[in-house]
Amino acid sequence: MKASFWIGTALAVLLAGGASAQQLKFPPGQDQRFNWKSYEDFKAAHANLKGQGLTLFGPWRGEDEVLFNSVLAYFNAATGINGRYSSSENYEQQIVIDTQAGSPPNIAIIPQPGLLADLAAKGFLTSLGQENSDWVKTNYGSGADWIRYGTYKGKDGKEAYFGFPFKADFKSMVWYVPENFEEAGYDVPKTMEDLIKLSDQIVADGGVPWCIGLGSGGATGWPATDWVEDMMLRTQKPEVYDKWVSNEVKFDDPAVVGAIDEFGKFGKNPKYVAGGVAAVSSTDFRDSPKGLFDIPPKCYLHHQASFVPSFFPPGTELGTDADFFYLPTYASKPDLGTPVLGAGTMFAITKDSPAAKAFIEFLKTPIAHEVWMAQSSFLTPFKGANPDAYANEVLKKQGELLTTATTFRFDASDLMPGKIGAGAFWTGMVDYVGGKDAKTVASDIQKAWDGLK
Amino acid sequence: MTAIASLRRVGLPRLVVHVSVLLICIVWLIPTLGILVTSFRDAGQITASGWWTAFTGAAETSAARLGEPSTARQEGANYVISGSVFEGGQGGTVRAFGTRVAAPTEFPAGQTADIGNGETLTINEDGSYIYSKNAPFEGRGKRVYLSVATPPSFTTDNYRTVLTSQGIGQSFVNSLTVAIPATIIPILIAAFAAYALSWMEFPGRALIIAMVVGLIVVPLQMSLIPLLRMYNEIGNFFGVPSRSYAGIWLAHSAFGMPLAIYLLRNYIAGLPREIIESARVDGASDFEIFVKIILPLSFPALASFSIFQFLWTWNDLLVAMVFLGTGKDQLVLTGALNALLGSMGGKWEILTASAFITIVVPIIVFFALQRYLVRGLLAGSVKGG
Repeated sequence: MKASFWIGTALAVLLAGGASAQQLKFPPGQDQRFNWKSYEDFKAAHANLKGQGLTLFGPWRGEDEVLFNSVLAYFNAATGINGRYSSSENYEQQIVIDTQAGSPPNIAIIPQPGLLADLAAKGFLTSLGQENSDWVKTNYGSGADWIRYGTYKGKDGKEAYFGFPFKADFKSMVWYVPENFEEAGYDVPKTMEDLIKLSDQIVADGGVPWCIGLGSGGATGWPATDWVEDMMLRTQKPEVYDKWVSNEVKFDDPAVVGAIDEFGKFGKNPKYVAGGVAAVSSTDFRDSPKGLFDIPPKCYLHHQASFVPSFFPPGTELGTDADFFYLPTYASKPDLGTPVLGAGTMFAITKDSPAAKAFIEFLKTPIAHEVWMAQSSFLTPFKGANPDAYANEVLKKQGELLTTATTFRFDASDLMPGKIGAGAFWTGMVDYVGGKDAKTVASDIQKAWDGLK
Repeated sequence: MTAIASLRRVGLPRLVVHVSVLLICIVWLIPTLGILVTSFRDAGQITASGWWTAFTGAAETSAARLGEPSTARQEGANYVISGSVFEGGQGGTVRAFGTRVAAPTEFPAGQTADIGNGETLTINEDGSYIYSKNAPFEGRGKRVYLSVATPPSFTTDNYRTVLTSQGIGQSFVNSLTVAIPATIIPILIAAFAAYALSWMEFPGRALIIAMVVGLIVVPLQMSLIPLLRMYNEIGNFFGVPSRSYAGIWLAHSAFGMPLAIYLLRNYIAGLPREIIESARVDGASDFEIFVKIILPLSFPALASFSIFQFLWTWNDLLVAMVFLGTGKDQLVLTGALNALLGSMGGKWEILTASAFITIVVPIIVFFALQRYLVRGLLAGSVKGG
C-alpha cells in the first residue's frame, strides 16, 4: 500500500514538530523588577493543592495564548496544580453550551460583562465574595468602576461580585508615526480643538489625516462604536454614559446623536479619511493602521485600542517608529476630566474548587501581572504591580494613563445586550458612514432595543 | 479553411459545451490558485500587493535607516557614515531615494543629493551609501526612503511555521482518530437500514422513510446542548469523562445517518428485483442476500457516501470543539490551525498555508475513491439501473 506509506511518512514528519516543556519565562529571584516575594508567599500559602486539576477557558489564541500560558506556568509551578488553558474561536457560544450542558471549565475568562451577567443570572457562576470585591476596590485604579463591571444579579436576584478583572485594554488613543510628525512639523495635540486643527493642517498640506477601517467580517462596524463611546465620554458626563448603557438614556437621545455626529466629523469627512468615506466601512480594521507606515504616508493618525501594534508592519519599534497620544478632550468642557475608555477580561468561577479559588488569589499577586507586563500586549490597573516591569515605554505610558484616569468606562458595546452591542450598533455604524444621518441610525438602533423588551 | 473544417467535425454545440466547461473550470480554479500563491508569500508582501503581482517583481517604496552617529568617521573636515541600506534585509536595486517622506523618490540612484544643513547623501543602485556632514552627527540613525525594484520572491516559511507549531502532529492524529470511525460506523449502520427499508416488508416502512427524510433538514447546531447534556449525565452515571472519542463518533454518526440512509436506500431499492428474488427462491436468508448481493452491488454508493462523510468530519470544527473539548491535546487539525490565527485573526499567510495542509488528506481519499464517485453520485437518481 503506497498510500499508507505516504500517510505514515507524513505523520512521522508532523509528529516530529511537537515536544514541549513548560518553563518559567523569567527565573524566580533574578530580575529585580519583579515582586518575587509575592511569588514565594503565594507558593508557601498554597502548598496543599499539589496534583489538583484546573481548567481555564478564554478568548486568547495564538500569541496571546502563549503569553497567558507563560503566566499560568508560574501558578502551576508555585502550587503544583495542573492548570490547563484552552480556547476556541467561538468562545462566547462555547461557554454558553458548556455551562448549560453541565460541563463547564473551572474558570471562564470573558471580555464581555454582558455575557457574564447572563451566565450569572442563570446561576452558572460562583460569587467571589465581598473580600475580593474590596480588594479590587482598594488596589485597582478606578477600582469602584471595575467592581461595577464585575457585579451582577445572581439566580436568586441578589447582586454579588462575580468577575475578577485581569488584563485591561486601553482604547482612548491615537497612533501616529513620530518621524512623520517631525518632518512635517506637526505637534501632538493636547485638546480636541487642536486635534481638529491638526487634521485641517494636514489637509491643507496636501495629506490625509486619518485611517479609519471598520471592516471585521461578521463584526464589521465595531471600530466605530469605540469612536462613538470615546466621543460620548468627551461630550457628556460619565453618568449619562452609564444611563446610555442601561438604556435609561435612549439611543436616539440628542446626547447620543451628538456623539455619533462627533465621530462623523472625522469618519464622514471625505477630506479626513484615507480612500474617501466609501473606504471606511470596506477597509479591514487589521489593514487600516498600515496606512500610517506607507511611503508617502496614506494617513497620519489612527484611532485604535492597545492591541493594534500587532498589526503594524514587522520590525516596527514602539515608541520610536510608532507612538500614541491620548485622544484629547475638549478644552471647552474641562469638567469632564480625563475619561478613559477601556475594556478588560473578567475571570469568573464557573465550577468551584479549591484550585479555582487559589487561581483568583494568584491574580491578586503582583507577580501574575508583572510576568505578562514584561512581555507584550498587557495592561493592568493594579497599583501594586511595578510599572517598571512594562516591556516598553509605550505600554508603560498606557498603564499610567489607566491607573491615573479620573473616569474609567468599559466599552459600552460589550455591556449592552448582545443584539445591540454586537448587532444593531455595529450595523447602524456601517449605515451611518454609508450615508444615513445620525438621527435615523440612532432611532433604528433604539427600535431594535425596544424590540428586545 | 481548416478551422471551419474542424469546427464542422466537432460541431458547434459541442464546441460551446467544451469552451464553457473550460471557462467554468478556470473560474473555479482561480481562487485556489490565489490561495496557493499567497501561501508562498510573506506577510508583508501579502498586505502590500495582490497575489497576481507576485510573479512580476515590484518596485516598492520602503524606508531604511542609515548607520548610527557613533559609526561616523572623520574625513578631513567632514564626518562620514557609509554602509548599505540593505543591511540585514533582502536585496534589490535602488531606483531612487529621498529624505522626506512626502517626496520619497526625489533623487535618482547614484546622484549626490544636497539635503541642506551641510549634509550630502548618495545612495547607489546596489544600496551602498555615503552620508557626510560638515559637523558631527547627532541623534538617531537617519531615516531615508527608497524606491527599490525587487525580484519576485517566494518563501516556504509559512508552511514551516504551521508544520512545526506545537501540537500540530497530535492534532493531525486526533483528526484521523475522529474521521475514520466516524465515516465507517454510519455507513455500516446505514447500509443495514437501507436494505431493510427497501427489501423487507414490514408495517410502517413508508413512515420511517418519511421520518428519515425529514431528519435531514434538522440543523445540528440545534441539538448540541441537549446532546452534550445527555453525554454529561451518562458520563456522570458511569463515572467516565463525557468528552471522549466514543462520544464524538456517535455524534458524527447520528448527524450523518439520515442522509446516509436516504442515499443508500434509494440506490439499493433501485437494484434489479430479479436478482434478490431468485436469491430468496434459492433459500438465501436476508443476511446472506445483504452480504453476498447487496453490499458488492452497492459499492459505488457506499464509496461516494464515505467521501462525503469523511470530508465533512475532517473539515468539521464545531462538533469537535463541543464534543471533544478545546484542550491542546484534544484539538483536531481544524481547531489547531484556527488557534494559530491568534485572537484577532487576519493572518492570511498562516490561513492559506493551513488550507493546503488540511487539503492533503481529503485529496488522498478523493483520488482513492473517485472512480466510484461519479457512479455513486447518480445513486437514487436513475431507478431500475
